[in-house]
Amino acid sequence: MKESTTAELYLSFATIFHRPHPEVVNHLEELIELWEEEIPDIMEPLAALKKFCQIYAPGETRINTLWEHYIPLFETGSVEAPPFASIYLSGDGLVLGTETIAVQTFYNSAGYAMGEKAEQLPDHLAIELEFLALLARDGEEVLLENFRQKHLIPFLTKILPRIKNGSRPVYSSVAQILQSWQLG
Amino acid sequence: MRRRQFLKGALYGTGSMIALGGCGSLTKVDQKTLAANQIAEKTVYSTCEMCTSRCTMAAKVRDGKVIKIEGNPNDSSTAGTVCARGSAGVSLLYDPQRIKKPMIRTGERGTGKFKEVSWDEAYTFIADKVTQIQQNYGPEAIAFASRINPQDAFFRQIAKAIGSPNTFSHEATCPMTKTTALEMTFGNPWIAADYGNAKYIITSGRNFFEGIHVSMVKGVMKAVQNGAKLVVLDPRFSVTAAKGEWVPIKGATDLAFFMAMANIMIKENLYDKDFIENYTEGFDKWVEAVKDKTPEWAEKETGIPKEKIIEITRDFAAKRPNALVEFGWRTPWTPNDYQCRRAILIINLMMGNWEVPGGYYQKKGAGVLQPFPDQAGYAKPTGGGYGPMPPAPKPSKGRIDGAGVKGTPGILIPVADGAVGQIPESILTEKPYAIKGWLVHRFNPVISMTESERIIESFKKLDLLVTCDVYMTDTAYYSDVVLPECTYLERYEPIIDQSGLIPKIQLRQPVVPLVYPDTKPAWLIYKELGQKMGIGDFFSFKDMEEFLERQLKPSGIAFDQMKEKGFWSPADMKPFYMRGKDPKAPAAPSLNEKGKMHIFSHEIEEAIPGQGIPVYTKYPQPGEGEFRFVQGKVAVHTNAGTHNVPVLNELMPTNSLWINSVSATKLGIKDGDNIVITAGKYEHKGVAKVTEAIRPDTVFCYHGFGRISPGLKRAYGKGINDNKLIPNAIGESGNVVTSMTFVKIRKV
Repeated sequence: MKESTTAELYLSFATIFHRPHPEVVNHLEELIELWEEEIPDIMEPLAALKKFCQIYAPGETRINTLWEHYIPLFETGSVEAPPFASIYLSGDGLVLGTETIAVQTFYNSAGYAMGEKAEQLPDHLAIELEFLALLARDGEEVLLENFRQKHLIPFLTKILPRIKNGSRPVYSSVAQILQSWQLG
Repeated sequence: MRRRQFLKGALYGTGSMIALGGCGSLTKVDQKTLAANQIAEKTVYSTCEMCTSRCTMAAKVRDGKVIKIEGNPNDSSTAGTVCARGSAGVSLLYDPQRIKKPMIRTGERGTGKFKEVSWDEAYTFIADKVTQIQQNYGPEAIAFASRINPQDAFFRQIAKAIGSPNTFSHEATCPMTKTTALEMTFGNPWIAADYGNAKYIITSGRNFFEGIHVSMVKGVMKAVQNGAKLVVLDPRFSVTAAKGEWVPIKGATDLAFFMAMANIMIKENLYDKDFIENYTEGFDKWVEAVKDKTPEWAEKETGIPKEKIIEITRDFAAKRPNALVEFGWRTPWTPNDYQCRRAILIINLMMGNWEVPGGYYQKKGAGVLQPFPDQAGYAKPTGGGYGPMPPAPKPSKGRIDGAGVKGTPGILIPVADGAVGQIPESILTEKPYAIKGWLVHRFNPVISMTESERIIESFKKLDLLVTCDVYMTDTAYYSDVVLPECTYLERYEPIIDQSGLIPKIQLRQPVVPLVYPDTKPAWLIYKELGQKMGIGDFFSFKDMEEFLERQLKPSGIAFDQMKEKGFWSPADMKPFYMRGKDPKAPAAPSLNEKGKMHIFSHEIEEAIPGQGIPVYTKYPQPGEGEFRFVQGKVAVHTNAGTHNVPVLNELMPTNSLWINSVSATKLGIKDGDNIVITAGKYEHKGVAKVTEAIRPDTVFCYHGFGRISPGLKRAYGKGINDNKLIPNAIGESGNVVTSMTFVKIRKV
C-alpha cells in the first residue's frame, strides 16, 4: 500500500471518530468508496454504511442522527466506549493516565505536540489516528510502525469490540472496517 | 477520484497540520519549546467542593496531573485532613463521563437525544428563548435554582439583570428550617457551635459522622475524647448514635422532647436566669407555653420514658453553660419544623451558652470584629468584585413563593433561598403566575426535590429548561440546553468566608488547566451569557484575577499570598468569645437591631398569630402496616451530587431500605429480599436491610440513589430514590417535608 493511501486511510478513520462535523459527515460516501477500494473483506459493514447513506442524505438529519449516537457512545454520560486509550491501558479507568503521558511523549519525540486550541486529549482515538496519518504522509515508516505496535494496536484491541458490539449505526460498521484493516 | 481531492487536500494542502472536520489538534514543534513546557511537582492549596462544607485542601500535582488530594496541613480546623469525598475529587476531575461540550436537545424531552454545539450557539439559543419568555410573560416567568456556592452569585446576576425575583437555592431541601429559626431568634443565620469545648452534646437527628463536615467532626470527636456526653435522638441507630447514647425517638415528636426539657429546667431552676434576663426577650411566654409539657406528657408523645427525659435534662443542665443542643443540618422533617429548631435554640439560650466555650457563637468574620476595639485590628473585611454596574430593573411582580413579605407567612421563608418546591407548582398550576423558563445551576431538582415524577411532569410544560453541571444529571437529561461547567479543581471562585471563632477566608483556584478544553467556569459562562443577552454591563470585570484583586484590596491581603496558602487567618489571634472573660459583656448577634435574642418572635406572631412562641403540633403516627419513611446522608456521598463519581460509586453504588427485624418478620421479609415500597400513588423497588438498628415503626434509606439519567452510567437505576415517594408539600417556612410520608412494604 502506498504511503499516501495509508495516510488517507488513517485520516478517514480519524475524521469519523472525531466529533461529527458537516465537512466529514456530508462526505461519508467518499470515505466508503475509499474503504471499499483499499480494504478487503468488509462487505457486511460496507452494506450497512451504504444503507445509512441512502436513508440519511447529507444534511442536518444525517448529522443529528450521528450526534444521537456519538454522544452516548463516546462523549458524555453513559460513554459506552470511552475514546481515550488511558481508560483501557492505564489501570484506573480515568483519563490523563500513564498511557496519555506515554502517547504525548511519543508525539513530542516525533516533533509533534497538541496545539493550544486542541479540543481533545492526546490519547483520543481520533488524535492517535490523525497522528498516524501525519507520520504516513511524512514517510515516517519506522515511527509509524513503532507507534502502531506500542499504542494503537493495544488500544484498538480494547475499544473496537465495544464500538462494534454497541450496534450504533455508522460507528459499529466503521469499527468493523478498522478492525479488519488493523487487527486482521 | 473525489475522495483523493477530499482527503488529499486535507493532508497535503494546508501546511503541517491537517485541516478537516475535527482534525488539526497536532502541530509541529521544536524540542526547545517542549523542554520549556516541562512541569515540576507542586502542591496547590485550594478549597474542596465535593460537598458544601468548603474544607481547605492540598492538591499534589505531578507532570500537570493531580495525583492526590489531601487536607491543607496548615489548617488546624481540619487537622490537615479531607474526607473520602474530598479525596475522591481526583476521579471526578478525570472522569470520562463528564460533560465536555454544550449540548442542545434534538429529540423529545427525556429521550436523551442531543447534539453538541459551540458555546456561541448555546448562548444564542438561551438568549433568544429568554427574550421570547420575557416578551410573552415577563421576566418573572423565568426561575433560577442553584446549589448554594460562592460562584452562585454569577448565576443569580443574570436574574437580577433581567428583573426576575424568582431565585432559589437548594436550601429548602436541606437546612432551611434551621435558617428560619436562626433568623427569627438571632436576626441572622451566621451562628455556629463550638463543639470541641462542649461537655454535653444533644443532637436531634444530625448525624455528624456520616453527614461529614470535617472541622465539625473534629470538634465533636475532641469533645467526646475529652469525656463529653453525646446523646442522639434518632429513630435510627446512626453512626453518630453508635458513638454516644441512642435515644430512639418516635418520628416527628422531637419538639415534644425539647419542650419537656424546658419544662423540667424551669421547674427545677436549672437555667441561667441572668442570661435570660439580660440577653433575651419573651421568656415569660415560653414559660407559659411549656408549663403543661411535662415529662409524662412527652413520654406519651415521643416514646421515651419520662425518667430518661429527666435524666438527660438534669445531666445536660449540670454542664451549663458549656453544653449544647445541636440545631441540625438537613432539617425539613415536618411542615412546621422551624418551631422545633426554635425550641432547640431557646433551650440553648436557657443554658446561657451564647458566646462561651462549648456553646453557640456569632461567626467572627472581619465585619463582626469591628465593634470590639481589642479584636478589630486582626482583620479587615473584603470587598465586592463586580465593579460598577447599572441599577437593576425592579421586578414588576412579587416572588412566586411570597418569601420575605412582612406580616405574611412568607416572612418565614429566607429570601436568599426561597421555597424551591414552589417552582414546579407554579409551572403546573400557573399560580400565582406561570413559570415558563427554568435555569438550573449545579442543582438536580429531579433527585434533590420531593416527588420526582411531578418535577418531570413540570419540565414538560416549560418553554426553556437549561442545566449547567459537570455531569449529565437527571435534570440535564430533560433539559433543552446543557452547559458543561469545569470542576472546582479547574477554576477560580469569589473569596469564601469560612470564619469561625476567628476570621478565615479561603480561595478556590485552578489546580490544573482544563482537562476537557471546552468546559468553562461558571463566572465565565454567565458573563458570556450576559453579554449575549445584552446585560454584559452587570459583569464589569475582565476575569477572576481582577475580581479577586478587587475583593481582597480592602482587606490588605495579597492575592499572591492567597494563591500560595489557599486560606488566610490572623495568625496570632485567639478564639474570640464575646462573653469569654465577662459573662455580662455585650454580646448581641450581628444584624440584631434590638440587641436581644427573640425567644418570642413578634415577626412570626404578626405573620401567623399564635405562633410567636413554639407551639407543639401533634402529627399522625404510622398505622398498622405502615412505616414512617426517613432518609439521611452517608459518609461517602453528598446529596445528589457524587453518586456517579468513579471512586465514590465504587465505595457505595447503591442503597437499601432499613427495616426493623420484628417488622420484617411480620411481613415475611428477610435481609436482602427484593421489596416494593408504596407511598400513595407511587411505588419503588428496592432491597431490604433487616436490622435491629431502627424503630419498628420506621424505615430508612440513604439519599441520592435510584438515578434515572442513563447519562449517569455508574449510578443509573441503582437503589432507591427516596424523593420519588415523598409528595411535594411546602412547609411553613418554605421547606420540603421529608419525614411525614408513610409507606407500605411488600416482598416480591
